Amino acid sequence: MAAVDGAAYASFGLSDDPEIAEPADVCLLVEGTYPFVAGGVSSWVHDVIQGHPELSFAVLYVGSYPGAQGEPRYQLPSNVVALHRVFCQESALAPLDGAGRSALREQIRTLRAAIDARPEPSRVLAGLQRMHVDGEAGTDVLAALASNDLTLPELLHGRPSFQLLTTIAERVAPDAPFLDLFWHYRAIFAPVLRLLAAPTVQARCYHAVATGYAGLLAALWSHRTGRPLMVTEHGIYARERDMELARADWIRDEVGGVSEPRSTWAPRISPLRRLWSSFFRALSRIAYVQARHIITLSDANRVKQIVDGAPPAKIEIVPNGVALQSGPQPPRDPEPPAPDQRSVIALPSRRMRVGFVGRVVPIKDLVTFVRACDIALNSVDLDVRVIGPAEEDPGYAARCRQLVARLGRSSSIQFVGPMPPARIYGDLDLVVLTSFSEGQPLVILEAYAWGLPVIATDVGACREMIEGRSDDDRRIGPSGVVTRVAAPKETAAAMVRLARDVRLRWQMGAAGHQRVTAYYQRKDMLARYRALYEGLIEAP
Amino acid sequence: MAGIGWKLQRMIDHGSLAGTIAAYLTGVAVTSAPWLLTTAVLTSLRLISRHATGDFVGVERFLTVVYAVTVVLSAPIHVVVSRYTADRLYDRHIERIAAPLRRATALTVVGFALIGAGLVWALHLPLALALVGAPLTAVIGAQWLMLSVGGGMMSPILLLRAFGVGAPLSLIAALAVERAAPAGGAGYLFGFAAGQLVTLGLLVRGVARALPAATDDSARLFPAFVEYRLLAWSAFAYYVSIWADKIVVYVVRGADAAAFYAAIAAVAWFSVIPAFAWIYVQVETAFYQRFRNFYAELEGGAPLRELKQHAERISEEAKHILRGAAAVQVGSTTLVIAAAPRIVHAVGLSPDAGPLFRLASLGAGMQVFCLLEVLLLTYFDLRRDALAICGCLLIGVTALTCLCSAIGWPPVLGHLVACAITALLGLVLVRRRLQTLVLDTFQSQPFGVA
Repeated sequence: MAAVDGAAYASFGLSDDPEIAEPADVCLLVEGTYPFVAGGVSSWVHDVIQGHPELSFAVLYVGSYPGAQGEPRYQLPSNVVALHRVFCQESALAPLDGAGRSALREQIRTLRAAIDARPEPSRVLAGLQRMHVDGEAGTDVLAALASNDLTLPELLHGRPSFQLLTTIAERVAPDAPFLDLFWHYRAIFAPVLRLLAAPTVQARCYHAVATGYAGLLAALWSHRTGRPLMVTEHGIYARERDMELARADWIRDEVGGVSEPRSTWAPRISPLRRLWSSFFRALSRIAYVQARHIITLSDANRVKQIVDGAPPAKIEIVPNGVALQSGPQPPRDPEPPAPDQRSVIALPSRRMRVGFVGRVVPIKDLVTFVRACDIALNSVDLDVRVIGPAEEDPGYAARCRQLVARLGRSSSIQFVGPMPPARIYGDLDLVVLTSFSEGQPLVILEAYAWGLPVIATDVGACREMIEGRSDDDRRIGPSGVVTRVAAPKETAAAMVRLARDVRLRWQMGAAGHQRVTAYYQRKDMLARYRALYEGLIEAP
Repeated sequence: MAGIGWKLQRMIDHGSLAGTIAAYLTGVAVTSAPWLLTTAVLTSLRLISRHATGDFVGVERFLTVVYAVTVVLSAPIHVVVSRYTADRLYDRHIERIAAPLRRATALTVVGFALIGAGLVWALHLPLALALVGAPLTAVIGAQWLMLSVGGGMMSPILLLRAFGVGAPLSLIAALAVERAAPAGGAGYLFGFAAGQLVTLGLLVRGVARALPAATDDSARLFPAFVEYRLLAWSAFAYYVSIWADKIVVYVVRGADAAAFYAAIAAVAWFSVIPAFAWIYVQVETAFYQRFRNFYAELEGGAPLRELKQHAERISEEAKHILRGAAAVQVGSTTLVIAAAPRIVHAVGLSPDAGPLFRLASLGAGMQVFCLLEVLLLTYFDLRRDALAICGCLLIGVTALTCLCSAIGWPPVLGHLVACAITALLGLVLVRRRLQTLVLDTFQSQPFGVA
C-alpha cells in the first residue's frame, strides 16, 4: 500500500477500508459523476450496474474536494459492494496570521532540508516529466508513477520538483507567465500525487468510465494489481477538457498587457491552456496504453481516440442502448398529412412541443438553444421546455433564465427541472440538443424509442445516430436534423421546418424508432459488456 | 525607504559630480548623522567639562552605558516595528500603524524608565543624577522607536532636522543649566536630556504627521514579534556584538583598559562612514530597483527566461555592492592606517595606541561588511541566515577577544579575526542565495500545510 506522508496531505475519505474489503468483480472508476450527479454518464453507469446483477461492483468516485459532491442522486443497486471516494484537492485553509506564517516557514525550511538530503531521485518526478514533457505513456512510465515515491511536500518545496517546473517552462510553455505557471504546476500535479497515494481498491478487473483522473487511477491500480483495465469513453475526455479550458476564466492569458486570442478559430492558444490540454491528453494516453479494451460509442470518437494515442486494435464500438417498451411506440402525430401536402406549409393544430433534455450546464450550450427558440418563435408557435437538473452549475442556469427573461420568452420557454423519462417524451413533439460535446446521447435514443425526431449538433455520435452509421442504417432515412455547433439560426431553421412540416416530423420519428430498434437496444449493449467483463474477470 | 531611494537616484541621474557627491553625502547624513551628532555633543561636553567643577566623569559613564543599553535593547524592537511598518505600507493598511505604535511607545517609555532606574542604581549614581537619568533613558529608548517608524515614513530631512536641532540644544542647555544653576553633573545631564527631549518631540511630530487620521485600534504588534523573531534576535546579536568586546575587556582587564579599548574602537568606527554611505546609496537605488523589478516582472507575468535575467541582474548588483563596499572600505581603512599616529595624537590617545588603532580599523571594516551581508540576506528574507551571521559575530567576538585577553594578546586582534571569519561566512551564505534566487522565491511558498 502506498505510504501517505503527513495527515494534512491525505484526504481520501474512503467509506471503508479497501485493503480488507472483499475484491469486487468490477471496480468502476468515475470522475465527478455517479452516484452524486444525475443524468448522462451517471445514468449509463447505473444502468450497466443494474444490467449485471450477477457481478459485484465497487464504485470509486474521483471528486474535486471533500463535501463538494453533495448527496447521492441514485439508490445504489444491491450488487454494489463498496463506494469509495478519492479527492483531488484539499479544502481551502484559513489565512495564517504572523505566528502561523512563521511556523509554516520553519516547517518548509525543515522539509526542504530533508528533501535536499534525499539519496535517490524520485521516480514519480521522472515519470511525470516523461508523461507530460516527453509525451511518453509506456508501461515504464506507469511503473514510475506507481512507485509513489514523491511526497506532496517534495513536489511543493523540493529542488528536483522545481527543476521539472523549469523544464516544463522551457519546453512546454516558454512564454507562459512563470508565476502563473508555478501555481498551475502545483494545481496540475498535486491532485496526481493524491491519486498516486490513494490506497488501491482490489478488484478482478477495472473499468474506467472516462480517461482523465479516473483513467489514471484505474491504470495505476491495474498496473499494481496486474488485473486488466477497460476504458469506456462516452465523450472524449481530453477534447471536452479543451472546450472547458477555452472558456476557463481562471487562466490568465494576458502577458505584459497583451491579451492572447481566445476565440475557437484562433490558431494560438495561450501557453497555460496548452499546458493543461497537454496534461489531459497525457492522462488519456496513460489510460489508453494500460487498457486492454477501449470502448467508444461512435466512429467519430474512435478516430479522435486514435489521434490522441489510443492503439486502434484495442478500440471497439459499443453503442449505448435503451430499453424499448413492449411493441414500438407510435409516432406523435397520429394523422400525418397526405403525401401531396408535404411541400405545403401544414400548420399543426397545436403548438409544437420542443424539449431540451439534459443537465443545464455550459457544455450543453443551452444559450444557443434559447437563442434558437427565440428566432424560431418569430416564425412559429412553440411550447419549449428545458427538462433536466440545474443545480450542477447554478450560475450558468441563472444566466440562461435571465436570457429567456431578457428575450421576453418566459411564457414560451419554461424550465421544468428533472422528470422521469415516461413523463418527458410522451409530452413532446421534438427533442433538440445543442451540446458542444456529446458521446452518444441517451436522450436521442430515448426520443427515438418514443418516436420523436431529433435536432442535434454535429458532435460525438450524433450525426451517425441521425443519419445512420452503416449502409443499412442509412437506408432507414434521417431521423432528425444535424446542425453545426453554436449555430442558433441553423437550429432555429430546423425547428421551423419541422414545426411546419408535420409529415416530415412523423417520418423522422418513425425512422428514429426503426433505428433504435435495430441498433441501439439496451439488451445488446449489456450483452456486449457482459462478454467483455467475463473476459476480463477470467483473464489470468 | 523607497522615497529616499528615488531622491538619491535623481541626484545620481543628473550625471554631474556634484549630484553624485550630494547623493553620497545624503547617505552619510542619514546613516551616520544621529550617532555622529550625539558623539559630537558628548565629546564637546567632555572637552568643556575639563574646566568645570561638576562630576562629569560620572555623567559621561552613565551616558555611555545608557546609549549602549538602549541601542542593544531597542534593536529588536527597532527591527520588528520597522518591518511591521513596511508591511503595512506595502499592503496599504497604513491605518494599522498608529494604534500599535502608541501602545509600543507607552511600553517603551515605561520599560526604559525602569531600565534607567536600574542603571542609576547599578552605577551608584547620586539621587540628583538618578532623577534625571531614568527619564533620559526613556527618552532615548523612545527616540530609537520613533526612528524605526520614521525611517520608513518620514522625509530624511525631517529626521536630520530632529537630531540637528536636538543635539546642539543638548549641548547649549547642558552648559546653560550648569552655568545658571551650578548643580554639578546633574546640571549637565538635565540640559542634555532637555535637548534629547526636543529631538524626541520633533520625531514624534514627524511620525504623527505621516500617519493618517483614521486608525485601526484592533491592530496588534505582537504577532509581528512572533513572525519576525529571528530578525529581532539578529539585530540583538549584532548590536550586542558591537559592545561584547568592550565588556570582555572590562571584565578581564579592568575599567581603565576597557576605557582605552573603547576609545580606540570608537575612533576606528569613524572609518566606516564612507562605506556606510556607499552601502546606503547603492542598496536604496540600484539594488532596490533591480529587486523591485524582479518582483514587478514576476507579478506582471514574465516568463521564466526573463525572470532568470532579472535574477541575474540582482545577483550582479549584489556582487557590485559587495565589491564596491569592500573597495570603499579598503580605501578608507588604508587612509586611516596610514594616518594612524596623527589620528591617535589628535584624539588624545597615547602613541602606543597606534598599532591597536590600525587593527581596530580593520575590524570595524569587517564588521561593516558583515552588516551589509545581513542587510542583503534580510532583503531576500533569509532570516535564519541573517541570524547565523549575527550569532557568529557575537560568539566570535566574545570568544576571541576573551581568548586574546586571556593569553595576553591584544583583544582587538580577536575582534578582527572574529569579524573576518563572520564576513567570510556571510559571503558564502549570500553567494549561495544568489545562485538559487528563483528557486527559493517559489519553492518556499506555503501551500496547503497547516
